Amino acid sequence: MSELLLKIADCVEFGKINKASPYPPQMKGQDGADELTRQALDEGVNPQEILTGGLMVGMQKIGVKFRENKVFVPQVLMSAKAMSTAMLHLKPFFLSGEVKQKGTFIIGTVEGDLHDIGKNLVSMMVEGNGWKVVDLGTDVKADQFVAALKENQNAFIGLSALLTTTMVNMEKITKSIKDAVPGAIVAIGGAPVTDDFRKKVGADAYAPDPQGLVEYLNSQLD
Amino acid sequence: MKGLELIKKAFALEPVKRVPWVPFVGVHGGFLTGIDAEKYLKSSEEVVKGISKAIEEYNPDGVPVVFDLQIEAEILGCELKWAPHNPPAVVTHPLADGKQLKDLHIPTEFDGRIPEVIKATKLLRKKYPDIALYGLITGPFTLALHLMGTDIFVKLFEDPEAVNEVMDFCTKVGKKMSEYLMEAGCDIIAVVDPMTSQIDPQTFETFVTPFVSKLFSFVREKGKLSSFFVCGHAQQNIETMCNCKPDNVSIDENIPLDFVKEIALSKGISFGGNMKLTVVLLMGNEDDCRENAIDCLDMGGKKGFILAPGCDLPRDTPPENIKAVTKLVHDPYQQEVIRAMDKKETTLEILNMNDYGQADKVIVDVITLDSESCAPCQYMVEAVKRVTPHFEGVVEWREHAIKKMEAVTFMSSLMVKNIPTICIDGKIEFVSQIPPKGDLIAAIQKRINKKLKLKIKSKRSEILILGEDKDETSKLNSKIHRAITELGKDVEVKMISDKKQIANYGVSRGPAVVAVNYKLKSEGTEPSLEVVKEWIKEL
Repeated sequence: MSELLLKIADCVEFGKINKASPYPPQMKGQDGADELTRQALDEGVNPQEILTGGLMVGMQKIGVKFRENKVFVPQVLMSAKAMSTAMLHLKPFFLSGEVKQKGTFIIGTVEGDLHDIGKNLVSMMVEGNGWKVVDLGTDVKADQFVAALKENQNAFIGLSALLTTTMVNMEKITKSIKDAVPGAIVAIGGAPVTDDFRKKVGADAYAPDPQGLVEYLNSQLD
Repeated sequence: MKGLELIKKAFALEPVKRVPWVPFVGVHGGFLTGIDAEKYLKSSEEVVKGISKAIEEYNPDGVPVVFDLQIEAEILGCELKWAPHNPPAVVTHPLADGKQLKDLHIPTEFDGRIPEVIKATKLLRKKYPDIALYGLITGPFTLALHLMGTDIFVKLFEDPEAVNEVMDFCTKVGKKMSEYLMEAGCDIIAVVDPMTSQIDPQTFETFVTPFVSKLFSFVREKGKLSSFFVCGHAQQNIETMCNCKPDNVSIDENIPLDFVKEIALSKGISFGGNMKLTVVLLMGNEDDCRENAIDCLDMGGKKGFILAPGCDLPRDTPPENIKAVTKLVHDPYQQEVIRAMDKKETTLEILNMNDYGQADKVIVDVITLDSESCAPCQYMVEAVKRVTPHFEGVVEWREHAIKKMEAVTFMSSLMVKNIPTICIDGKIEFVSQIPPKGDLIAAIQKRINKKLKLKIKSKRSEILILGEDKDETSKLNSKIHRAITELGKDVEVKMISDKKQIANYGVSRGPAVVAVNYKLKSEGTEPSLEVVKEWIKEL
């Protein structure tokens, strides 16, 4: 049984979506995340166990590789694709409450900015690590973040920006969120963002890579 | 030397006397002339106005004509969303929305905004024959991403052939664009391919190298120069980028300059960058900009390096910041000052100078780079030298040349930020400008007067009457009290009759009188050793 979970973790780590998928070449013709997750459920493996002992393990591994510059966006997207294919099988158990998520993370690219590659990557990684993600999309204004936070009490917020000119909006948005919901926790990230900048805008956390954010979020539990 | 020549030298890896400076003015040109990004990027007239203004203000060796990576995409059917402060963003990706590659055609010189770019280039070429003009084209991978959306990333694995076809098409587009720009008068074709920062070297070699290499060799065949611009965390690909044989690579602050320098020079190509766009140029002040620029200049060196921002300047970058960099680039003397000040921040302790300047004499400190090698410093020192004899020994002056470490410590302890500066009794009085004789004398006199006032105010005196014989001492006591009263002075009188205590004053036989003057030297602080030494000297 644990061998099956390990295989699922491998599929996520290496981006093996399903049997038909040509990538990665070394796993050609083998079952992918899709088939193996179905198989595990059929064998009666606890869905929570599939998530934490299989999918999350793979996501964690690819996250670390990404941070260490061993893999780049394309590989992570393949992993995320494998992950989300597997998640389709688990969705019903989320809804029934049989599988629990760690918490909620609200994410969006800030007002004026339409770039979503980075934001999507973060969103996939956070979700793949057992969090519920509310993705508000791009060009998101302060009040949209506030509304989402009111709907999802105690959620964490993530602001993304690619442009130097839109990253400055992070300050205004962070302030509006904190004014509306005192104690709200805001993390920021994106290519031009730095920790110095985070201090300037008064956000709570900055991570240079998605895995860093995942670790920050996990550290906020308990 | 003319800018274009200087840049050509740097591209050829010949040593230069001054590092060439290429501020990447994009929509910032519109900021200089007061119009928004959309109007700016749609009008050759506005571009010429903006770039002309930038050339006037920033005295560059080269400039990009139009910095906009959406020109080709727009023509190929990507919808754009315009913004007042930014270049437009691509919002739709035709190849992801059902269009076929065969439906797309290579842009002609009459399509979209290309005529405006060509017109602007021609006008600027004519107006500024000696400045290097950079013609920017969208790198094939970034253009492919505009066309396919993020699907391109998974397609790299799932349908590599399709990606190759799109890359081939985008390369043909790039070639045509380069041709238009070179014919209009650009000296350097910059292939701007920021999205390559998102892929690993192997993927780069597989999907990007074969295509961009063609572009660079095409530019070379035409007798022009090429540069490969990338931004973001692209450190992994620098070597691979150099292997594509551009004449130059330009990078942003995400990649350490020394790293790029080592690789580029080992591959025989020049390199540029990597001033910090946001934290420094956009949000910092002039000091921050100078510091960052000097770091880049020193790291880059005078062979093969071109100083430039990491990418196009944010529209609202304060012009003062860029002007500060310009001034520094053209002023080797200021470069030395900044270097010396840099040192101070990293290595030096700050002395406690609260009580500096409490000695009887007035101390005039002249902080210089070195009066022997720096003309303004020399005049500053001479001004002081000329004036001090008027005060006949009451005023002492010293030069602190910050080429020496202790002078740097002294300078930062007095919070002096500019060179040369005159401090009087530790207070900054004259900064940069050499004061007229009269002003300097007046400033010193003012200090002398103030000191005198303080001296009178802070005096406290005692008279000690020493003696074992009470009769003798009480007679003396009443005499002294009378004298004090008649003079109207505030003096305390103390009687000391203990034999041992009397002996401590070196008195062997009473009655004796000792007059004591107290002088407050510091209060509430711990004076530095230097300061204490000053006091002791006057005892």
